Amino acid sequence: MNAAPALLGYAAVVGIAAPRLMVRSAWPHRAPALGAAIWLALMVSFTLATALAASQLATPTEHLHAGLVGLLHACGLGTGAPVAPNPTTADRLALAMPLAVVTAIVGAFLFHLARAGLTRARHRDRLDKVGVRSDRLRATVLMHGTPAAYCLPGLRSRIVVSDAAVRLLTEEQLDAVLEHERAHVAGRHHLLIAAAEAFATVFPWLPLARRARAEMAVLLEMIADDRALRSHSHEALATAMYEMAAGRAPKGAFGAGGSAAVLRMKRILGPRRAPHPALWGSVASVALAVPLLPLLVACPPGV
Amino acid sequence: MRRLGELEAEIMDRFWRWNRPATVREVVDDINLHRDAAYTTVTTVTTILFHKGHLTRARNGRIWLYKAVGSREAYSAALMEDGLEVSEDRPAALVQFVENLDDDEIAALRKALRDVGRRAKQ
Repeated sequence: MNAAPALLGYAAVVGIAAPRLMVRSAWPHRAPALGAAIWLALMVSFTLATALAASQLATPTEHLHAGLVGLLHACGLGTGAPVAPNPTTADRLALAMPLAVVTAIVGAFLFHLARAGLTRARHRDRLDKVGVRSDRLRATVLMHGTPAAYCLPGLRSRIVVSDAAVRLLTEEQLDAVLEHERAHVAGRHHLLIAAAEAFATVFPWLPLARRARAEMAVLLEMIADDRALRSHSHEALATAMYEMAAGRAPKGAFGAGGSAAVLRMKRILGPRRAPHPALWGSVASVALAVPLLPLLVACPPGV
Repeated sequence: MRRLGELEAEIMDRFWRWNRPATVREVVDDINLHRDAAYTTVTTVTTILFHKGHLTRARNGRIWLYKAVGSREAYSAALMEDGLEVSEDRPAALVQFVENLDDDEIAALRKALRDVGRRAKQ
């Protein structure tokens, strides 16, 4: 038997239908960490389904052997399992194809991580010459007339704030903004961004890739907002956001796709509605189960 | 032991403040008012700063005179703009608090604030 058609069908559902459903759902913005977990799970699941389908396509007559070794082998995972004494070309292909898919993803992830890391290192090098470290703010202050704040995540992270922002914002507003940036660093959000970037590099045409990259960025901002709201008032964060946005040169109206800032603002000011525990629980189980589903499709137990 | 980056910052700080050509000796003497720094180390780091494009130099007899390429303000502004620039081919190496918005979006923010009856700081 061959599971390739089933796997490809599953990949189509995860790659095309699932992101559409996710974008239409309201709950991800109410539970952004869970939403980010689901996007990640969908990307992992799609990658596995594609890898397994490639393996199955390479071995059209492959049948499932009994026992765990045979199961792993059929799934293209039995690297060290000496199932056949003389591996055929098909066997080698069955292993090489899924490995190629996984290697492409991991390689793209490392590439994006290294490239962003290099950009950050260059920026940090210059920042340390010209910026003024403030122990009180636990941030680097940079002389600039535009109110702005950003962070350099990763090793030797930096929180950067312009002196215009320091002058413009009240102490409480500034603290809320800095807490938001610290949440990005502490949460290692740059790893998730790199993962979504990597996925989009390998599957550029895929709706899941495009949506996941855009949504992940918004959800990470919301996670950081929530973190800042633990210790700061909604009013401080919302007004800080407005002050900083209004104090900057407006951009040309070429940005499509709607602004995350408006969504975030409404969310910060709106009533806090955490999703129902039952919904939360079931979505969390889905996040855990989805990456494993392709294995079940490829290797149905009891066959 | 201080990091190399700190010494770089100290040296650049001098050139920016003085805003004139100066020798490594002058820089070393000024740093030595606050702490000990070896002449050879400062020479090495100054040369690095020259090769990185932060300093220019011109020969005056047998010694080099170094000068900052631009003012501290210009350097600071260029860096910030680099940090705030967003482009498709340069994905989020830096994570901004809020990106540049257009007028409609800023109006939407203002409206959201007003709707909950709260006022932004004047």
